[in-house]
Amino acid sequence: MSMIETHDVTKSYRSGEGVMEILHGVSLSIPAGQCAFIVGPSGSGKSTLLHLIGAMDQPTKGRVVIDGQDLTKMTEPQKDLFRRDKIGIIFQAFNLVGNLTALENVLVPFLPRGITPELRDRAKAMLTKVGLGHRLTHRPIQMSGGEQQRVAIARALVKNPQVVLADEPTGQLDTRTGEDVFRILRELQRELGTTLVVVTHDRRFIQPQDLVLEIEDGLLKK
Amino acid sequence: MYRFAWRNLFSRPIRSVLALIGLSIPVLGVVGLMSLSNGLRGLVGDTVKQVQGVMLLRTNTPSPVFSDIDSKLADEIRKIPGVKNVASEFWRVAPPVDNTSMVLRSLGAGSTEKRLSNFLDSPVVLGMNVLEHNQLDSAVYQKALLKPSSSGGRFLNDSDRGLNRVVLSRKFSLQYPNPDGSPRKPGDKIRIGTDDFEIIGLYETKSLLLDVVLVMDIETARKLLKAPKDATSAFYVEMKNPGDNEKLSKIVESRWDEIDCRGMNEIEASFGDIMGQIDVLLLMAVGLAFGVGAVGITNTMIMSIMERVPEIGVLRTNGWSSRQILTLITLESFYLGVVSGMAGCGFAIAGCWVANFYLKDGIRLIPTPSILIQGMLLSVLTGMLAGMYPAWRASRWSPMEAIRYDP
Repeated sequence: MSMIETHDVTKSYRSGEGVMEILHGVSLSIPAGQCAFIVGPSGSGKSTLLHLIGAMDQPTKGRVVIDGQDLTKMTEPQKDLFRRDKIGIIFQAFNLVGNLTALENVLVPFLPRGITPELRDRAKAMLTKVGLGHRLTHRPIQMSGGEQQRVAIARALVKNPQVVLADEPTGQLDTRTGEDVFRILRELQRELGTTLVVVTHDRRFIQPQDLVLEIEDGLLKK
Repeated sequence: MYRFAWRNLFSRPIRSVLALIGLSIPVLGVVGLMSLSNGLRGLVGDTVKQVQGVMLLRTNTPSPVFSDIDSKLADEIRKIPGVKNVASEFWRVAPPVDNTSMVLRSLGAGSTEKRLSNFLDSPVVLGMNVLEHNQLDSAVYQKALLKPSSSGGRFLNDSDRGLNRVVLSRKFSLQYPNPDGSPRKPGDKIRIGTDDFEIIGLYETKSLLLDVVLVMDIETARKLLKAPKDATSAFYVEMKNPGDNEKLSKIVESRWDEIDCRGMNEIEASFGDIMGQIDVLLLMAVGLAFGVGAVGITNTMIMSIMERVPEIGVLRTNGWSSRQILTLITLESFYLGVVSGMAGCGFAIAGCWVANFYLKDGIRLIPTPSILIQGMLLSVLTGMLAGMYPAWRASRWSPMEAIRYDP
């Protein structure tokens, strides 16, 4: 069963007086629990596709369906709830909140609703899983890049989402740290049975059972 | 979220402190000015409470010191139904006391505060018809005479008619000390104009407006000030029923055009009206300061938000709604308003304390809880209003616009 489907998705942006089309009718299907890689050169539209799947942006044409729900028919508040409950996102630049501790950063999705002891325990457990059980009260500035990205992974997974989206998650890390981070990400994906979509230049992390989607000039090659 | 919003203020501490100062200064201004206004009302209220009768003086004169009325009217007024007592008074600005004129006293004082204090404390002569005044129920100075144990001495009586004897305020006994520096007391002499006067008593009303009066017999005052033998400034009238003061006013003012009848409640109400108008002007000035404070907070919040756009993007991608972003930023400006209000009120309380310390016997600045609450509310309201635009702006970014923004 497909967890993620896109049907003839086009995305264009206004650029000056013209219109620049980034994606040209992309259709794909990613099964539930699959680890999928979207690869391709810079500017090919990989990140744009990821953002559309994550309900962070709206396609110009076409449909994006996640777990049977058509994102293009959702209102903004519905998309907010969808992102909150079903999507976990990891960015290349970690994007942690500077004045919050590691634990509080992991709890960011729950802050508006209030933090219960159960949620706090869950966040602590997730930080322990990514090897940061001893860094709960540290702020981003006190952590290395690899540690920050592990906090970002914990934040993405703490709500037990159906889909985790990672946009160049090792792009700002050295080779060894990148491998560590990716190993953790893949372990947790297997453990939680989450569908993982990774945008990357780096094909080292691709394993034979993974789905590879190659994009070039806004078109899906295979 | 409440803690998160609070901590966001500390992420850019200098900017937050500057915004706080920008808003706390108008709070300080509004609380300080309203405390001053309150102090002035209190001052007049204290005075009015002690003067329960009605004062009759010439129309359009601001004070009995400038009034001059026909002394024979006293008998006519006594005939008005309900009138219990009529006491004649002669008021004038005092000649130099201890050879020091008001101008010399003001200019000679060391500090500005002292000069102002001396100016406000300029002595006034009250010559009273002793017999008539001793029959009054609400005779202010008689009642304010200090106890014998505090060297109060005695009040004027019939034996003092035409003699150079004076009852002095405790304040003046300190401000015009003996040559050896000791406070003046009953039995001592004091020079008023060109004559020496024997001090027979000391009084204290604790009213800034009343404790500047040199009380003496009316004939003595006329002689001292070289006024005609029947010169009269005002009549102090008591009704059998104090509730009938207004009736008396109507009768007197309809019968004698040149006489103005001033009940103390009326004086207090007029003063209240004037103070109300002054308050409006003060609030308009302070309103401008609040406007500047609001612009400061808006600027601070906009700057702070522009620096945090990607962070707001992270919150949005993690499921925070536009409304929750709006709430977060509004909370931050609300906190700024609360802290600024508290700081402004704190500074104002400290400022009033310092001012009162220097003013001592003068006007008091009274920051009541109600004034402090008003200052706080104004600050919070200004903070929230100023934060609304930045909050609205932040809430309108799409998650991707925000994440991709390069501050």
